[in-house]
Amino acid sequence: MATGAERSLLERRLIIVTGKGGTGKTTVAAALGLAAAERGRRVLLVEVGPHEHLARLFAPDAPPVGYGGRELRPGLTAMRIDPFEAMAEYLSLQVGARSLVDLGLRNQAFRQMLQGAPGWRELITLGKIWHLEQMKRPNGSPLYDLIVVDAPATGHGVTFLDVPRVVHSAVHAGPLGRNAGLVEELVRDPDRTLLLPVTLAEELPAQESGELVARVREELEIAVDRIVINAVAKRPFPTELEGLDRRLAALPAELSLQRLPTPAVMAECASYLASRYALNRTYLGVIAKRTALPVVCLPFLAGGLQRPGALRQLSQALFEPPSNRHAAEDVPETERVQ
Amino acid sequence: MNVATEPEVLLHGARIVVCVGTGGVGKTTVAASIALEAARRGARALVLTIDPARRLADALGVAELDDEPRELPEAMKVKAGIAEGGRLFAMMLDMKRTFDGLVTRFADSPETRSRILANPIYQHVSDALAGSAEYAAMEKVFEMMENEHFDLIVLDTPPSQHALDFLDAPQRLLEFLDSRLVKLLVHPAFSAGRFGFRLFQGTTHRVLKLLERISGITFLEDVSEFLLAFEGMSEGFRQRARRVQSMLLGSDARFILVAAPSPEAARDAGDFLEHLERSQVPLAGVVVNRVRLWPNGEPARSGLEQYTRDDAFDADFERLARALERGENAGDGEAAARAAIEVVREYDSLVRLDRQSTTALRKHSRRSGLFFRCIPEFPRDVHDLAGLSQIAVHLFAADEPESNTSDTVNDVERR
Repeated sequence: MATGAERSLLERRLIIVTGKGGTGKTTVAAALGLAAAERGRRVLLVEVGPHEHLARLFAPDAPPVGYGGRELRPGLTAMRIDPFEAMAEYLSLQVGARSLVDLGLRNQAFRQMLQGAPGWRELITLGKIWHLEQMKRPNGSPLYDLIVVDAPATGHGVTFLDVPRVVHSAVHAGPLGRNAGLVEELVRDPDRTLLLPVTLAEELPAQESGELVARVREELEIAVDRIVINAVAKRPFPTELEGLDRRLAALPAELSLQRLPTPAVMAECASYLASRYALNRTYLGVIAKRTALPVVCLPFLAGGLQRPGALRQLSQALFEPPSNRHAAEDVPETERVQ
Repeated sequence: MNVATEPEVLLHGARIVVCVGTGGVGKTTVAASIALEAARRGARALVLTIDPARRLADALGVAELDDEPRELPEAMKVKAGIAEGGRLFAMMLDMKRTFDGLVTRFADSPETRSRILANPIYQHVSDALAGSAEYAAMEKVFEMMENEHFDLIVLDTPPSQHALDFLDAPQRLLEFLDSRLVKLLVHPAFSAGRFGFRLFQGTTHRVLKLLERISGITFLEDVSEFLLAFEGMSEGFRQRARRVQSMLLGSDARFILVAAPSPEAARDAGDFLEHLERSQVPLAGVVVNRVRLWPNGEPARSGLEQYTRDDAFDADFERLARALERGENAGDGEAAARAAIEVVREYDSLVRLDRQSTTALRKHSRRSGLFFRCIPEFPRDVHDLAGLSQIAVHLFAADEPESNTSDTVNDVERR
């Protein structure tokens, strides 16, 4: 039976996974897509930006999926939105004659203008996502139940999501303004769209996620109901052994060990892991407090992502009920991949 | 020592160092530590950040940064070991103000200036639309370069997936301003506000019609007015953009790629590196930040991954357990020894993971004659001057001889 946490993720039409580079946002998007597909949803994973990475999380040597997209698993399709291709498609729909559009896009003057003009890439990308959301199967049901977007990792956080609103307010008449309005409506509809921020339990990411969520609430008005904290370290040694690092450091240096590192080095490792764990706990609390959101903790996978089962392990953790008890002693500690 | 492939190249004969890389890799921290090192060697150094997250203020431990260079207070200079004559400045880019400043500088009349500043397209272009940060950044860098007060400017660039958006920004803006379509939009025929499309024949005519149909006429009028007003100042801007570009590609510019060791970040950095090498930028090196290394170069001397139960291992375990029983806060020695071994295994897996994900970058750098440095992960987040100088020490340390680096990362000592 679906838990509440699952339902609220799976009942959306569009989930925009956002976060700084290096937070593992692509991995979270992939894990979410996989989990939804395994629960019977028809899922589209959308990658934005010049490089493709999603498909390779499912198979290391997978060829690019491109604008046309490809089914990676039953019910799980992935594509990459290229703004120029999306522009060509949009113009064809507007004009009804692809040949004229091709003529226009080949036009040097038009291409030059596009190269320099800011904002249109974001708008056309979101426009394409809107279009995908609208697509139906012959029986009238949506072509995709859920669209998961791996949002671009920019320093401007979620600025790109604001582009439709900006355009809509700048352009009052004509199809462009109207279309921007439709995209804005989708992005801001809490029944259809959810923003899923991904962060790390470290100082700067914690601070930035606080700023991001505030901005999403105050300016963008996009629904956000939880925050994913990735790569959360597990407790390095049991509580009753607290001070293990100091005990190791106090050992005589001449203790002759053949296979193990010196006691000093072991002490340093223990101290590093303990402080990493403590910092993680601290910033988990900070994030929960600053964002006032329930947190979903994903375990750090010591074996990396290429191990079989890694993605599935994350997708299970993603559907654990979000915890409001951030101050509580422990998040559920999932066993690490062996 | 060949300085060209050592980090010293950042401080010798350089006037501008540009730190590029995807977001969240600690570019700002690395940029600040380079400026700090330059100041410690007696230079007037400026670190300029584009990051709206105010990271630099955090790293320098100062309350607030704005779009004027702020100097590190005297008391902190001493603490940071900044030499006589050395000065360290930091500033943060304010996009909106920089853009307004540009308009004010180049507008040919007060009317033009107010027309641009009030134009809705301008307001959105300068304020809200993603991508304008790069334009504004270029402008500020140039202003600071012209300013001549600095021996070295270290630039922290906006995180970007489009690797060279930043560098391409002036060029793209020029192309935009030069494009025939823009020219048509600002042609005198439009200045009266009438769209005399009939005057133009051929494809461009049809493209304009298409634009008109899609965008709505008000939008085009706004665009046209914006561009018209902009044209008066575009010559000044054009010259400036050209000079900015030659400055960034010049012999006193250095680019470094900053990366993080997580698999996802290292992969992005690889894409970025390839892109940089195809471009003309004077790339000097690659810095991987926050890498887990073995303390004191403690090697995986007997292969930590092979902690199988053999006699040597059992003897180690016994010795460790007995020693832990005798030690301070003595308790169950065997439980503590088991936990200690688990700790070593866990740490080893982190070292391995980081090494594995940085291997490709390291090889690539060596092949291309770039310097490659790993900054070790410190137990605490870097948020003060002491942390920055620690980073500088590792960044500017001599590389380990090749023999020691065959299998491990350059094993700089952890604190």
